[in-house]
Amino acid sequence: MLSPYDWQESITQRAQYIENRLRSGSPIVGLSIDEGCILYTYRKNVRKVYEVYDRVMFSAIGQQADVESMRVTSIDFAHQEGYAHSEEDVTIGRLVGFALSGPMKRAFGDLTIAPFVIHALFAEMNAKPDEDLFIWLHYDGDFVAHRHFAVAGGTGPVEQRMRDYLSEKYDPKMKFDEAIRLADAAWRIGADRDGNGQPDDELFRGAYPEIGFLERNVDRVRRFRLIQEEAKRFP
Amino acid sequence: MFDSHNKFRTFAELVGFPDSLGSPVPAAADTHGTTVLCLRYKNGILNLGDRRATAANYIMYDRADKILTLDDHTLVAISGSFARSVEIARYLRHAFKYYSRTQLQDMSLEGKLQEVSRALAGNLSMSLDGIGVFVPIVSAYNPATDSLGIYFYDVMGARFESGEYGAAGSGSDRIRGVFDYIQREKGPFDKRPLDDVLKDGLTMLDIASRLDSATGDMTNTLPAAKTLTKDGIADVPSSTLAKAVKSIHSK
Repeated sequence: MLSPYDWQESITQRAQYIENRLRSGSPIVGLSIDEGCILYTYRKNVRKVYEVYDRVMFSAIGQQADVESMRVTSIDFAHQEGYAHSEEDVTIGRLVGFALSGPMKRAFGDLTIAPFVIHALFAEMNAKPDEDLFIWLHYDGDFVAHRHFAVAGGTGPVEQRMRDYLSEKYDPKMKFDEAIRLADAAWRIGADRDGNGQPDDELFRGAYPEIGFLERNVDRVRRFRLIQEEAKRFP
Repeated sequence: MFDSHNKFRTFAELVGFPDSLGSPVPAAADTHGTTVLCLRYKNGILNLGDRRATAANYIMYDRADKILTLDDHTLVAISGSFARSVEIARYLRHAFKYYSRTQLQDMSLEGKLQEVSRALAGNLSMSLDGIGVFVPIVSAYNPATDSLGIYFYDVMGARFESGEYGAAGSGSDRIRGVFDYIQREKGPFDKRPLDDVLKDGLTMLDIASRLDSATGDMTNTLPAAKTLTKDGIADVPSSTLAKAVKSIHSK
């Protein structure tokens, strides 16, 4: 028989297990500027930034199977809603709140099934930077909305350092290249877990930047661009 | 786990197409779009359509847009049932996006053309009752082969590739032979510049509007005109269009 104490202890162990797995994830930086919305990270052999819908993208730290499962679920939800109503009606608030958060909370609290090992950042572009939205989504289903910039990193303190840095330097009027340099600097702070002023070797060696860019003022139907090869010129 | 599963799933399965289409309307209430034409020109394809939509003998609307963008490389010109064709174009637009996002690659041109066939076949039971019949012409750029193509369909979904031009709708039968005449006289469309081909196209649309009551004329409302090249889709600027229409009417 499981006592409330056992449950609490198991949950704590679960959280520790997940956090240990997430600790070594490559941080993600989200920035909103006049030209559009950016998700910036470093990747190795697996792609990290994905288009979800016309104005929605996401990136995540965690186990690849969970990232993939979240990607497909998000795309399905967004497309069902966009087709049933309109493209304009798809928002990350409803996507995260209705389609993702609940199942993640259930999986985390139910000791008989595997929890999600994932920590994600969603970005939604709207008419101007003040209206853009980022949602930080935790493995237990908890989520927080941010405007202008947002981060997802391996641990809470790392995220705090990245946010502190960005809140000092962020300016919505930044040009794309400037924004990328800022995102890169913030990433390096997030990747410096031991605090020696350099990104940790484990994250940095063999890795290269990947940028997801939702462009605000284009005539193209498709606003999302994945920048990989060109991104290598930035750092 | 999330409820979703990672097996391959088509957009049709996701949203339950064609059942997701609305219920049919009686033929008398079915609004029809009329004449559209697609012409090759040097480095591109020009799509033109008059702006009239009719229901039986009524003129429903004189500002209908029958040239629709499916994605950055694909245009569809529609004639026939307006409600059905707009809804199916919308379905296709979503289906192409869904595929590229889930599969992490763009759908091939062959895949897109097949999807159009399937959508027409899905519409067939209604078409047999004389409701919701429509005929699309697809203009597409194929990045894999760096080539442009015009494809037309019958109501059952059979696909045909047309070399230099395509036309559909009530006014199109009246002008089809003129295409051949122009090609014989002036050379193939795909060797001629856009403004030249635009004048030919508008002339034919003008003739169609005089011979077919369901085709709107260009005096009050400019026709819909879009170009497709390997760089994407663009509207022909209304100033260019107005000038070309004026020069045709002055002849």
